[in-house]
Amino acid sequence: MKTQHISHTSRKPLLSFAPAQTAPRGDVLVVVFLRGAADVLNMVVPHGEDEYYKLRPALGIPRPDDNKAKAEERTIDLDGFFGFHPILAPLLPIWQEGHLGIIHACGAHDDSHSHFKAQELMERGVENEHGPASGWIGRHLATLNTNNASPMRAIALGEMPQRSLYGSVPVSALRSLEDFKLRGDELAVAQMQAALGSLYSGNDSLSHLGRETMSILDTLEKITPRSPNSQSPNYPESNFGRGLREIGSIIKAEVGLEVAAIDLDGWDTHFAQGVQVGLMPRLMTDLAEGLAAFHAEMIDHADKLTVVVMTEFGRRAYENASLGTDHGHGGMMMLVSGNLKSRGVFGQWPGLKSHQLFGPGDLAVTTDYRDILGEVCARRLNNPALDGIFPNYDVKMPDLFR
Amino acid sequence: MTTLSRRDFLKLAGIVAGSAALSSCAPVYENLARLGDDFPLPQGVDPQTFALVNRLSFSAGAADLERVADVGIHAWVREQIEYTSVPDEACNLRLRQFKTLDLSANDLFDLSDKIFEEKDRLTVPDELRQATLMRQTYSRRQLYERMVEFWSDHFNISTEKGDCFYLKTVDDREVIRPHALGFFSDLLWASSHSPAMLVYLDNQSNLKDAPNENYAREVMELHSLGVEGGYAQQDVMELARCLTGWTMKEHFWRGDFHFDEDVHDSGVKKVLGMNIPAGGLDEAERVIRDLGLHPSTAHFLGFKLCRRFIADEPPAALVSSVAERFTATNGDIHAVMQTLLTEGIPHIQPKFKRPADFIISALRQLDARTDGGAPLQKFLARMGQPYFTWPTPDGYPDTSAPWMSNLMPRWQFAAALAQNEIKGTSIDVENLLAISGTTGIESFTKWASTLLLGAPLPEEDCQKMASALRAAGAGDEISTARVVIAGLLASPAFQWK
Repeated sequence: MKTQHISHTSRKPLLSFAPAQTAPRGDVLVVVFLRGAADVLNMVVPHGEDEYYKLRPALGIPRPDDNKAKAEERTIDLDGFFGFHPILAPLLPIWQEGHLGIIHACGAHDDSHSHFKAQELMERGVENEHGPASGWIGRHLATLNTNNASPMRAIALGEMPQRSLYGSVPVSALRSLEDFKLRGDELAVAQMQAALGSLYSGNDSLSHLGRETMSILDTLEKITPRSPNSQSPNYPESNFGRGLREIGSIIKAEVGLEVAAIDLDGWDTHFAQGVQVGLMPRLMTDLAEGLAAFHAEMIDHADKLTVVVMTEFGRRAYENASLGTDHGHGGMMMLVSGNLKSRGVFGQWPGLKSHQLFGPGDLAVTTDYRDILGEVCARRLNNPALDGIFPNYDVKMPDLFR
Repeated sequence: MTTLSRRDFLKLAGIVAGSAALSSCAPVYENLARLGDDFPLPQGVDPQTFALVNRLSFSAGAADLERVADVGIHAWVREQIEYTSVPDEACNLRLRQFKTLDLSANDLFDLSDKIFEEKDRLTVPDELRQATLMRQTYSRRQLYERMVEFWSDHFNISTEKGDCFYLKTVDDREVIRPHALGFFSDLLWASSHSPAMLVYLDNQSNLKDAPNENYAREVMELHSLGVEGGYAQQDVMELARCLTGWTMKEHFWRGDFHFDEDVHDSGVKKVLGMNIPAGGLDEAERVIRDLGLHPSTAHFLGFKLCRRFIADEPPAALVSSVAERFTATNGDIHAVMQTLLTEGIPHIQPKFKRPADFIISALRQLDARTDGGAPLQKFLARMGQPYFTWPTPDGYPDTSAPWMSNLMPRWQFAAALAQNEIKGTSIDVENLLAISGTTGIESFTKWASTLLLGAPLPEEDCQKMASALRAAGAGDEISTARVVIAGLLASPAFQWK
């Protein structure tokens, strides 16, 4: 492993010193990270591959034409070879609109099989543990000046900013819009706002920033809470669903959001992961319903919005003795965007025959995740500084976007 | 800590009022009287002594101001620099609960994996974060703690990288704290032998025939000479060769420094014009000794110290004097600080409080009780400065601009502290109201602003705030006092020091 590559990655971190280029804002980027390594082979099922059913006698999702299985439990065919797990059906309208791109056998080259290490490397956007400790989104923001001084340029849904957001721009972590709010009883809040209004009335730059923050507060207050009868789509009642709903609200409020990061945890399904019901189906329901609701709500913004779904690695191709799957290698990414050239399941399919598998029996990686993210940055976010975002990596854009 | 008595607070208010009266005969501080638009402290009052104590400490707490009143500002500064004579038993007692502070790297590593005792990878770094907050809040050796903070940025290590999650505790104890006001060359030497730093900057994989330049570069660029300090890429590559094999033990006594001869490049090298014969460990040590005393290092550190303690853009002449003193004393930080303060005080410009500064100043000035625990640390994280997690080796930004766009979590903290809604941290508003002896919003605002800002808000501002509060609806006296305190903590003026 000690190759020429290491001395490259040891260059000083670019982030804190690199001058930013100026460009108009591109899409709003929403990054969904499926933590715990999602079993992508049971999400976008290679039903055209016999090996899949040999490797997964109990966990395999029946073929679209498998008459022995109930119709509602069969794979939903997408292109004659791949199909959705039936629980991902809420994503079908997005697929039919041509707004969904799937990159299978996609991931990183790290073969540690460690969640901790793989997530860290992927969020830092680096090949191995050397190189900048900042995150790829942090470096994107630091290398692009969009003349956007909003305090909400980047937000992290959760307690702490995702590692991908680490960088020179301090990022606000908020669990929810509740976080961008003054708390206390009604009177205390009204009084606090009154006090802030009188204290931030000056002409200094901090007072200007304070007034801008108050105006965001006002804007957000008007858009939440939604009335229960509103026509907004049905987001799942989960942290993920609530988080997406809030990202949607923030985008619509036009308060300068450029990037939002949100997690969906719990994909480490070693034991009894479930086929039609259970742990993994519940997570897929959350994911599909959440993304579908978000897409439906944001349909008027589809041209200025890119959603990326990623996971640190996939799971073992063969099921284990506990009706679960162990840590694997190749994963999958999804793109939801109104600017895809076409819908499709992309990437070179490496196959599941034993000689095609990687390491202990894992799906191989044929597309580096940075090729996808790099194209998103360059084509959709107007940031040409891919060297700064993914140091020492030569991004090969798969040309998925218009 | 016992609650302040009414007498203590009267005394405190007296100090503040007294310093205002002294302003006209303190021309040495006159720059502070010409405050820019970005520093909306009221005109016509003297915030000088208060501001100076604020700048050198984590804010002017009651005990510090009391001490200044007793011995005078000059003696106070002197004893802060000679910190070992300042008794600190009360703070040390509070730290006793943090058992991990004294453990060896190996023990810390073992302890981080004991899930049945509810210990994991967060146990050690969380305890260090908690202890750091407690020290900054409660230590009487305030300038010393400010120096520890400065060096923790200068020799930045993120606990998020590899083994650093436990090694940083050792680095804090054995590198930063022993030398924070000692000799810089000792500090640099200790840091270069610190497994935390070697891991953080990838020197573990700096091997013969496969060099990694990361640490070699940063030790010159960020730790000593500065980017303009007169070294070239060739020097980085050669120093990297000298540093091959500098690593940590991975097995017995995991986390101890280890020089691995087997992966050391034993050829001759030339760094900064100096020929270095094959000599194992001694090769890089020779360079590090030189770096610690180099004139570029003197200038770079002079600049950074002036930026931290005097102004975002310190005057060049001041930086030169401080650098000269550094060179004349072989890098005696304690002597350097004497020169910096003697000559620098007239040039002090306002600085925006970093998140830790902001939170701890609120705690200290309101005489809060705190355990430094997770609910409080969460506010630091939301403001962007969780301790020891800045990813890049340049440390948390030390200028005002990067911090100014994230006001909301500061306002939330202000409200939460005033309402006593932060678990493990509390203030006694009833007591504050009682000892203020005030009635009415205006007079309490005036009193509390003196306490928090070093001078009362101007009459019209107090009235403006009072009428705004009344218009928003009347509450009882205590709840109104809470809002006044929250408002002042959230105010533009309190964001500066």
